[in-house]
Amino acid sequence: MLNSDFLPGYLSQSENIEELPKQSDVVIIGGGLLGTALSYYLAKAGVEVTLLERNDLNREASGTNAGSFHFQIALHQLTENMTEADDKRLVDETKLMLDAAKLWDDIEKELNADLGVHFTGGFMVAETQEELQVLRDKQRIEEAAGLETHVMTGNEMREFAPYMAPDLSGIAFCPREGHANPLLVGPAYAYRAHELGTKIRTNCEVSRIEQITGNPGYRFKVHTNRGTILCNRVVNASGAWTAELSSQLGLNLPMGLSGLHVNVTEPREFFLSSMIQHIGRRLTLKQTANNTFIIGGGWPSREEKFPLRYSNIWESAAGNAAVAVRVLPMLKDVQLVRVWSGVWAYTNDFKPILGESEKIPGYHIAMVPTGFTLGPMVSRMLAEYMTQPGTQNLLPKEFHVDR
Amino acid sequence: MKTFDLVIIGGGPAGIAAAATAANHGLEVALIDERPTLGGQIYKRVGPGFKVKKASEVGKDYYLGEKLIAELDNSKVNIYFETLVATIENSEVVVIQNGKSAERLSFRKLLISPGAYDRPVVFPGWTLPGVITAGAAQSLVKTQRVAPGSRIFFAGSGPLALAFPAQLSGYGANIVGIIEAAPRPGILKSIRIALSVLGNFDLLRDAAKYQFHLISNRIPMNYRRIIVSANGKNRVESVTHARVDKNWRVIPGTEKTVDVDALCIGYGFFPSVELFRLLGCELGYEESRGGTVVKLDEWGATTVANVFGAGDGTGISGSYVAIARGRLAALKIAVELGKISESSLSKLAAGFRKTLNRRVRFQGAINNAYEIKSGIYGLANEKTIICRCESVTLESILPVLESTIDPSVVKAYTRCGMGMCQGRNCQRQISALIAEKAKISISQITQATPRFPTKPISLGQIADSTVSSEKYFIDAE
Ligand SMILES: Cc1cc2nc3c(=O)[nH]c(=O)nc-3n(C[C@H](O)[C@H](O)[C@H](O)COP(=O)(O)OP(=O)(O)OC[C@H]3O[C@@H](n4cnc5c(N)ncnc54)[C@H](O)[C@@H]3O)c2cc1C
Ligand SMILES: Cc1cc2nc3c(=O)[nH]c(=O)nc-3n(C[C@H](O)[C@H](O)[C@H](O)COP(=O)(O)OP(=O)(O)OC[C@H]3O[C@@H](n4cnc5c(N)ncnc54)[C@H](O)[C@@H]3O)c2cc1C
Repeated sequence: MLNSDFLPGYLSQSENIEELPKQSDVVIIGGGLLGTALSYYLAKAGVEVTLLERNDLNREASGTNAGSFHFQIALHQLTENMTEADDKRLVDETKLMLDAAKLWDDIEKELNADLGVHFTGGFMVAETQEELQVLRDKQRIEEAAGLETHVMTGNEMREFAPYMAPDLSGIAFCPREGHANPLLVGPAYAYRAHELGTKIRTNCEVSRIEQITGNPGYRFKVHTNRGTILCNRVVNASGAWTAELSSQLGLNLPMGLSGLHVNVTEPREFFLSSMIQHIGRRLTLKQTANNTFIIGGGWPSREEKFPLRYSNIWESAAGNAAVAVRVLPMLKDVQLVRVWSGVWAYTNDFKPILGESEKIPGYHIAMVPTGFTLGPMVSRMLAEYMTQPGTQNLLPKEFHVDR
Repeated sequence: MKTFDLVIIGGGPAGIAAAATAANHGLEVALIDERPTLGGQIYKRVGPGFKVKKASEVGKDYYLGEKLIAELDNSKVNIYFETLVATIENSEVVVIQNGKSAERLSFRKLLISPGAYDRPVVFPGWTLPGVITAGAAQSLVKTQRVAPGSRIFFAGSGPLALAFPAQLSGYGANIVGIIEAAPRPGILKSIRIALSVLGNFDLLRDAAKYQFHLISNRIPMNYRRIIVSANGKNRVESVTHARVDKNWRVIPGTEKTVDVDALCIGYGFFPSVELFRLLGCELGYEESRGGTVVKLDEWGATTVANVFGAGDGTGISGSYVAIARGRLAALKIAVELGKISESSLSKLAAGFRKTLNRRVRFQGAINNAYEIKSGIYGLANEKTIICRCESVTLESILPVLESTIDPSVVKAYTRCGMGMCQGRNCQRQISALIAEKAKISISQITQATPRFPTKPISLGQIADSTVSSEKYFIDAE
């Protein structure tokens, strides 16, 4: 098995400063989880791929997220008055999650690397009676989709999770949830893609995608700070910046950006093997393999102009800490060591944007809001589509690029 | 929330002098320090109960500090003791008072004077119990009156390399040897250096006194030697040192080993620039002033509006400069807030400006005599721990340096700098390793993104249940 200690060394400085290839069948823009995973699945199918990343690999959303597999239905998926159509949508979304879970089951074998994948379950907690009702409602939908969850209250809850605040109104537990190390998954995909012949260029920023004619076999000229490269197909996997590059080509993507706040604490003796979320307030919480606690859940950070990284807001730390301490009282005395933030890109309907544009043939997009959980799977789906041209129906309609 | 004309972070010489001056001119001032007493590092208050062999060797700083602090006695400065500034945003400082929840103080002007900390030096054995920084040894003696061991060895360089052990010896501690990496200064040079030592003129006399003390107590002092390793099983039992070339590279075969039970490391200081970085103040790099320094105008204004800096936290220049800078900044702030007239400013400032200029004149002497040389970064071997919080060794860092020049990438792969000290100990070493590998200057390496809190704080103190998360729902429309 690949010892993750050796992951970082394979891209040599000299390779990084080497000239760009003159041309490539596929050019992928963005070396986050989606870009690296896609390059692997394409390379595995024998496609010639060049991956361009303006920074180092895995430094944006894919390297700043909390690494949780979110399979349970969460706060942001619910609407005020749930209709039958909403139920159906949630069943479909949950099924997608279960497919992703299967991929994560095998990923360490597939990449022959230790990526810190654990399926140790996840909690969803409720503080009020209304929230408890939501736990029960969502359980019904999850059951229909085939996802196992258990709702517990009172003494049963307190026995099952004695460390949680005893006065919570209830908890749901989903044994299938888990997590992996976000700092390793993308790089491991890149490493294996590289072995399979993918050319990776970091510190290479794409400024323009030009559509060209009269050059048989090549539909695009991609302009970068390190020269241009011709290609037949482009995949835009630039995360939060996907819309910016696409708008140059006249595509308006239904997506938005939000800076997210994350906290990390000092280490404490390990006791919490499952992650914790809240059905009514913003919270994700887990204890890592290094025994620290990572606490997040969607509190905002302040936008800054690239290349500055989004800055943190004290109020987010204060609000997030309050929810965390409310749910897990022992955290009260645990010290916060650092906060950070990442840019999260979401779509207005929380569905992936995945596939080839009909307006601009050859131009592909790979973008997904819960991209850590779903990133590897949607990348594999897109790779399948790209290696079997004409099979449009491989990708769900609601993921459509021109929607 | 309270609003102050001026909030000052750090109650060392710079902060005290600024507070007193500002209050004198009618400003409403808050002076914040995380310690229980004022004085900062050099004027740290002494606790009772330790036997002093020769009080004169520590008495001067104590006396000067007393005088400076007394300036605050009849002023209306609001002093916040045991209060940490965790972050600064929107013209407010977020403070955590000992044991209490976070609070905010709002300011019209801000002066940041957080001082400096000891330069960490990485060599085999540097994390063994019994190895401490000279500053920590000094603090132990000043506040607790405890010596760090019974056979103490000093390794260091710079103006304080002599002062520390002499001070300690003055308290009755047993110093068994001292090494200085720089060459023995010639007579002319030593006068110039002594004059310029941290802007402190009586240090000419002090230096002679220290030297005399060391000689009369037969403490061996060797120049051009550097620490090579601290050896021992569960704590330091001996130290090995060796001769160096002019870049402080070890000359093989010149090693010597001495039995000790404590090793003090004093190779200068790093400015505490965290708060300046958080605010986005423009920084520079000057190895001779501790590395990362803050860009200030002649009054101490940073490049961020309403934010001033003074003292060693902006670049190491010593207590006299810290005081002068603190007073100059206070005067300028008083003018900006309409408390004194623009026209009287230069007259009021003249004396302090003179002190400052004198310092600039001697800067050159210090620069070439005490510049830290690159050999200081080359002492580790593959098994040496670089990041002590996360126990990361050099051999696990080296492969990462093949593909990046970004310390944040090294951090992501190795956990170097992710622990309790947030890289205060290891980040410069990482930068130096990257710089050497990529053949660029250390000043060109970007540092990890600045984030709060400045020091670890419990979640219970940070938590505020009045912040509603509803307000923060992501609106998908
Ligand atoms: C704080 C936070 C917590 C999260 N927690 C979770 C979680 O627990 N579970 C979960 O499933 N999801 C989580 N997410 C979401 C998830 O991290 C993202 O959806 C996913 O990482 C997106 O991957 P990506 O490859 O599309 O984007 P990114 O990782 O952002 O990659 C895009 C890459 O494109 C590069 N790029 C951009 N523009 C250019 C250009 N012009 N030229 C070249 N390169 C360019 C960027 O430098 C970047 O490396 C979280 C996100 C954040 C921010
Ligand atoms: C370890 C050490 C030993 C030294 N020994 C000598 C010596 O023997 N002789 C000599 O001439 N010079 C010595 N110096 C140099 C001398 O101490 C400095 O030149 C002088 O103290 C600088 O004054 P200052 O006001 O800039 O900082 P300091 O005196 O360091 O004061 C800064 C103050 O700010 C506070 N602070 C910092 N951050 C925060 C925060 N976030 N929130 C709240 N409070 C904060 C600190 O608690 C501290 O009290 C030493 C320096 C150090 C670091």
